[in-house]
Amino acid sequence: MSRIHLQGLTRRFGGVTAVDDIWLDVADGEFLVLLGPSGCGKSTLLRMIAGLLAPTDGRVLLDEADITHLPARERDLAIVFQSYALYPHLSVARNIGFPLRARRWSRDEIQAKVAEVAAVLDLSELVARKPKELSGGQRQRVALARALVRDPGAFLMDEPLSNLDAKLRSSTRAEISGLHRRLGATVVYVTHDQVEAMTMATRIVLLDKGRLEQVGTPEEVYDRPESTFVAGFLGSPPMNLLTAEVVPDGDALRVRAADLDLPLGITADTPPRPVALGVRPEHLRLTTPDAAGIRGVVRTVENLGSEEVAHCVVGDERLCLRGARPLGLHAGDPVHLTAAPENLHLFDPGSGRRLAWQPVPSFSHHPPPLPHPAPSPI
Amino acid sequence: MTAAAVVSPVDDEAVGESGRARSIAGHVVLTLLSVACVFPIYWLYATSLRAPEDVYSLSVLPWPLSLENYADAFAKTDMVGMLVNTTVMAVLTALGQLLVALLAAYAFAAWRFRFQKLLYLMFVGTWLVPFQVTMLPNYVLLSRLDLLDTLAGVIIPTLCSAMGVLLLRQHLMGFPKELLDAARMDGRSSWGILWTVVVPTLRPVLAALGILLAITAWNEYFWPALVLRRGNDVVQLGLRSFMGTEGNDWGPLMATAGLTCLPVFLLYLVLQRHIVNAFVRSGLK
Repeated sequence: MSRIHLQGLTRRFGGVTAVDDIWLDVADGEFLVLLGPSGCGKSTLLRMIAGLLAPTDGRVLLDEADITHLPARERDLAIVFQSYALYPHLSVARNIGFPLRARRWSRDEIQAKVAEVAAVLDLSELVARKPKELSGGQRQRVALARALVRDPGAFLMDEPLSNLDAKLRSSTRAEISGLHRRLGATVVYVTHDQVEAMTMATRIVLLDKGRLEQVGTPEEVYDRPESTFVAGFLGSPPMNLLTAEVVPDGDALRVRAADLDLPLGITADTPPRPVALGVRPEHLRLTTPDAAGIRGVVRTVENLGSEEVAHCVVGDERLCLRGARPLGLHAGDPVHLTAAPENLHLFDPGSGRRLAWQPVPSFSHHPPPLPHPAPSPI
Repeated sequence: MTAAAVVSPVDDEAVGESGRARSIAGHVVLTLLSVACVFPIYWLYATSLRAPEDVYSLSVLPWPLSLENYADAFAKTDMVGMLVNTTVMAVLTALGQLLVALLAAYAFAAWRFRFQKLLYLMFVGTWLVPFQVTMLPNYVLLSRLDLLDTLAGVIIPTLCSAMGVLLLRQHLMGFPKELLDAARMDGRSSWGILWTVVVPTLRPVLAALGILLAITAWNEYFWPALVLRRGNDVVQLGLRSFMGTEGNDWGPLMATAGLTCLPVFLLYLVLQRHIVNAFVRSGLK
């Protein structure tokens, strides 16, 4: 399997920059998921890696070899499309063997390889059928088989599960993950579905408006979002973001707003500073009315089966609370919430970047200008 | 709810009555139109099957039936030779037009190149130029190339069908781009993609268009008459044998015309679905 390096990859369409200066290394055997909302440039980025779209600027390297200007058919990459892109006039066996015929393998070699791959993906019974005679899941497996049959340097997948129903998506997700583990394949996978990203990726790349927002393991991007965009994109419901202010209180710092007062668990002194306070819905706990915390009113309660989500109003802002069913809340109830300091996230309200506490060296004579924006995570 | 339940049967009845009246009126109009379309063809075959002395009879049924006009037509013209020539001309014209249309449409739909729109408009614009305008330059060119009085002279100048290009381009514009991308990733060149992915996938469209082009070529009279001059190499020109300054020989003329129409009718019977498809897809006729 191969490594992929993207160096300053950029693509502009007229005056619109779809992909903006992406630097990224995909390690051998890595399952890298490009995640972001529609129009964030993830598919454009994948098409540039595949060679289906020429970059405006930057380079694509495959195992140190510059393939930026190599035609798609000469790159050692295979792609699986959202629509599966199976050749409708060919049987399953001929669909799977199509890339091998283009490479002028002998008929016997093709037959042997197709049989091997079909067996791996449980398609042996279906090889004589045409794509229109297959279910969505079976078509998806044929598309995977066609990618697998070439033993490519890396697999590119463009939202391959989007056309499947929820149940099939879940099983195919597990199947692709299993395949990745068995083959040790390098995979670049595009999706807008955070569940796919969280469950399959070894690393997630979050994109917004063509730019890299954060790269990290699923745990890193979920537990330590580097921006309000990442915080607001991941999670269902996403992280609550409230306008607040960090203020000193004795020798400790607290975060405060109207109807909000929480300790940050930091012993320090700093001038008051406006922040965006982030807290995940599942990290909020109900507390007593006299305790410090967040005071709000429940608007609606959603039943998710095993859990409930309470949508609340805190001052002028909205906030969600998620917990095991029953939460014991009803529309119109006043609610008092708290969260552990380690589950509170602070962001700069202007740039949206994460703020991190950085202790000031003891020899400093000046009070620290803290919290301050964290260094770029990329 | 109750009011609606009470009112709705009355409404249904009203809709039903006016609907039935509309349906009957529609059927009457369509029947009249069908008769207007079919009657000339019926009259052609009826006349061809009358005895020579009954050719001017106005009786609706051709009785007694006679094949004398057909025998006369075969005796006076090389009917078999003409049918073979016409078939060769129609098939070669249709295949040539299909090939040119396929290559042009593929280029216009799957590629991006300079002046693409302008070239496409020029290509399709040739459709708007009346045949009579291009007829003389083509005739002079054929004369210089010494192709007058040959089937090649009939076929070659008609090899580019603007309608074919337009129709295939429309289909190729709707062709799934991911299929082309998949074929590129799977190692095919553009030429390879055309023949291994595009053509097999478009087979129904190509078949439908091919039939349409073949029928058009088969029915062509004016251009073959111009190129073949006095020769009667194709069956449509064979009809001229029975037209004279002293009057027309209606019996064998109708028999020949009937035989001329027969292959097209047979083609229609066998490939009815494809032909209707072709007309629907083309949206032209």
